[in-house]
Amino acid sequence: MTSIPPILELRAIEKRYGRTIALADGSLAVRAGTIHVLLGENGAGKTTLLRVAAGLLAPDSGEVLLDGIPVTWNSGAQAIEAGVGAVQQHSSLVPSMTVAENVALTERRYFRRFSPTAAARRVRVIAEAAGLNVVPDAVVGRLSVAAQQKAEIVKALAHEPRILILDEPTAVLSPADARDLFGWLKTFVSSEQRAVIVITHRIREALEHGDTITVLRTGRTVLSANAGVRTQSEVLDAILGEQPSIGSGGSVKPSPAGTLPAEPCLVIDNVCVADSSGNFRLKNASVSVFPGEIVGVAGVEGAGQHELLRVLAGRLVPTSGDVSFPESVGFVPEDRLRDALIEELSLLENFALRGAGARSGFLSWKSVAQETTAAIKGYAVLGGTEVATVAELSGGNQQRFVLARELGVSPIAVVAENPSRGLDVRAAIAVFDQFRAARAAGAAVVVFSTDIDELLGIADRIFVCHAGQVRAVPRDAVSIGAAMVGL
Amino acid sequence: MTIPIDGFLEAVVRGATPLAFAALGELVAERSGVINLGLEGAIVCGALASLVATVAFGPSAGLLAGGSAGLCIGLIFAFFVLVLRAQQIIVGAAVSILGLGLSATVHRALTGGGASAIHVATLPELRIPFLADIPIIGPALFSQSLPTYILYALFPLVAYALYRTIGGVVLRAAGEHPPAVIAAGHSPAKVQFMALCVCGFLAGVGGATLVVAQTGTFSDGMSAGRGFIAVAVVALGRWRPVGVLLGVLLFGSASALQFLAQSLGWNVPYNIVLAAPYVLTLLAMAALRGSGSAPAALGRALNRSASLV
Repeated sequence: MTSIPPILELRAIEKRYGRTIALADGSLAVRAGTIHVLLGENGAGKTTLLRVAAGLLAPDSGEVLLDGIPVTWNSGAQAIEAGVGAVQQHSSLVPSMTVAENVALTERRYFRRFSPTAAARRVRVIAEAAGLNVVPDAVVGRLSVAAQQKAEIVKALAHEPRILILDEPTAVLSPADARDLFGWLKTFVSSEQRAVIVITHRIREALEHGDTITVLRTGRTVLSANAGVRTQSEVLDAILGEQPSIGSGGSVKPSPAGTLPAEPCLVIDNVCVADSSGNFRLKNASVSVFPGEIVGVAGVEGAGQHELLRVLAGRLVPTSGDVSFPESVGFVPEDRLRDALIEELSLLENFALRGAGARSGFLSWKSVAQETTAAIKGYAVLGGTEVATVAELSGGNQQRFVLARELGVSPIAVVAENPSRGLDVRAAIAVFDQFRAARAAGAAVVVFSTDIDELLGIADRIFVCHAGQVRAVPRDAVSIGAAMVGL
Repeated sequence: MTIPIDGFLEAVVRGATPLAFAALGELVAERSGVINLGLEGAIVCGALASLVATVAFGPSAGLLAGGSAGLCIGLIFAFFVLVLRAQQIIVGAAVSILGLGLSATVHRALTGGGASAIHVATLPELRIPFLADIPIIGPALFSQSLPTYILYALFPLVAYALYRTIGGVVLRAAGEHPPAVIAAGHSPAKVQFMALCVCGFLAGVGGATLVVAQTGTFSDGMSAGRGFIAVAVVALGRWRPVGVLLGVLLFGSASALQFLAQSLGWNVPYNIVLAAPYVLTLLAMAALRGSGSAPAALGRALNRSASLV
């Protein structure tokens, strides 16, 4: 009896960059008609493995087999022709161009005529066949993240791939959009000889929507199994290789309301924020945050949380309304490499940026150096010395360093926007432990997250933003999910 | 006294022609994400090469030789920027100085110390019947030499290539967001290499135009800053073919002031009239400040993994 070979198989893939080993023994067998989920910590080699599968990276050793036949790809173009389409983690769309122009990029012949109307028609045909709602003439940069992702998928579908690869597609999506995406992926693999490979950090999502899971740890495949027969803790063990101390992470008891001090620390009252064209991004928002509590904020992309967090942190002056906050509020923005740190500069120089917007005069490098060293020690920033540059740190340690700077020795108030973005399980736990420590020290903490489970794990009270309005919501996933979509 | 309007317009078009070639080339390079300040070197080397080739084979060969010399200068620039990944601005300035020095040295060697300049016959004016008889603009537009007519085809051709071919979409994407080009299976470095070849060739033709259509001879540094003005004109034209066309006409008008000053007998120092195009370029840049429509990745080096070789 002959068994059907996997539609795509990677065997014992090895890939080194200089002296670092990105993949030591990466294997993956994807069966037709399945959603295959790839899990692992940051740096476990997930993205490297998928780049090999998409022909974007040549392995040092190991085999790639398509329908059981070994293949060698020298470029992404060859993999695309062979039927492998990849949707990358970071947008591979040109923001200033239309969806139609972006899809036209995938064509090979440079001298072929490009007609905007024909290209738009083509996008419409692909999108309709796939059941995706995409506006071909929309400029990509003006679309929401979820809509951009649909455009990315349409771009990948232009070559009618049999295997679709998505690198962390749900990281930037709201729960509702993520569910939609998986629903669509299910339809995609249900017809003909197709398969999907998805990278995610969310174990629950993997087990709920995946048919098969593969776990990578330090460059090796350590688990390959049907999703149905595994539990969350089994998978977490495989990802981490040891039982991490998440006793505090799993179930958190909110601090009893009675112990809260009477005076709030951060107050915004009836605050409105209008953008340059006069549209209200935030309407009549009122939030009070007390010392010693963690307030969670949820909301889909563009619902007003961006403005709410910045008003709370004193980084944005509202159009109207009253605000009051202590003289120093720490702020942890979502995109740390764009908004919080300067990659090429040393930790010392980055530390000196603390509260720079509200400061003037001279700087004592000596005292900044002392504070930096203390912060690196206190927050266990691995690989950090004051002369090291930010670029030398891993993502988790970069975030620790940002927290160290923003929380300081005795935090009064801190506002964090999606602080676990791009972090693996272990690093995310460490980050949330810091917020708990800050709460214990009597700080007022505000955390926004796209992951409802994460919010439920840490927040004492929850506010949800929807279409610029902010309201308090009970601490359960159903209420939060409903409020996010305006119910 | 009447203003010699048709003579003035004719001088505008004539003055704009060499610049237009260079500016179109720069437009292609900048839309692909590379700012080529080495244009000046390509123009001046193109001018000298065209003089030599015209002596040997005639003016048409001169235009081709000019383009080829510009292409060679473009290749030097491309090697440093795309292979060695050096800073575009610094390499551009160096290549311009190299071109100016190289052309002056070779010219001196050819003329034996520059005692007797080489002269060639310039391309004849080609009068298009009927069209040239249109009042006012007829003689300016349709009583010019061959390179100007080539431009009439080149502007729409470049616009078509940029906006209505797949290659043009890929080229513009390389200037905006190179990762998208890589993800789609293309090489941004290859696209930029081709754009720089086109840019160098066109700048060389622009230089050749100075010789075979206008002066009939070569003098050291005869590009007179046109390479740098072309870079300004592209920014002035908001990185669009039509904008570039308007920009070169503006520059042509400023250079035609000399013609006006002479024919009207204005009593202004000659130097001030000569400086007009450069002053105008500065003023226009100040008026249209900001770089809102510049290609987003303009001037930025590609990642090591995306570069050539």
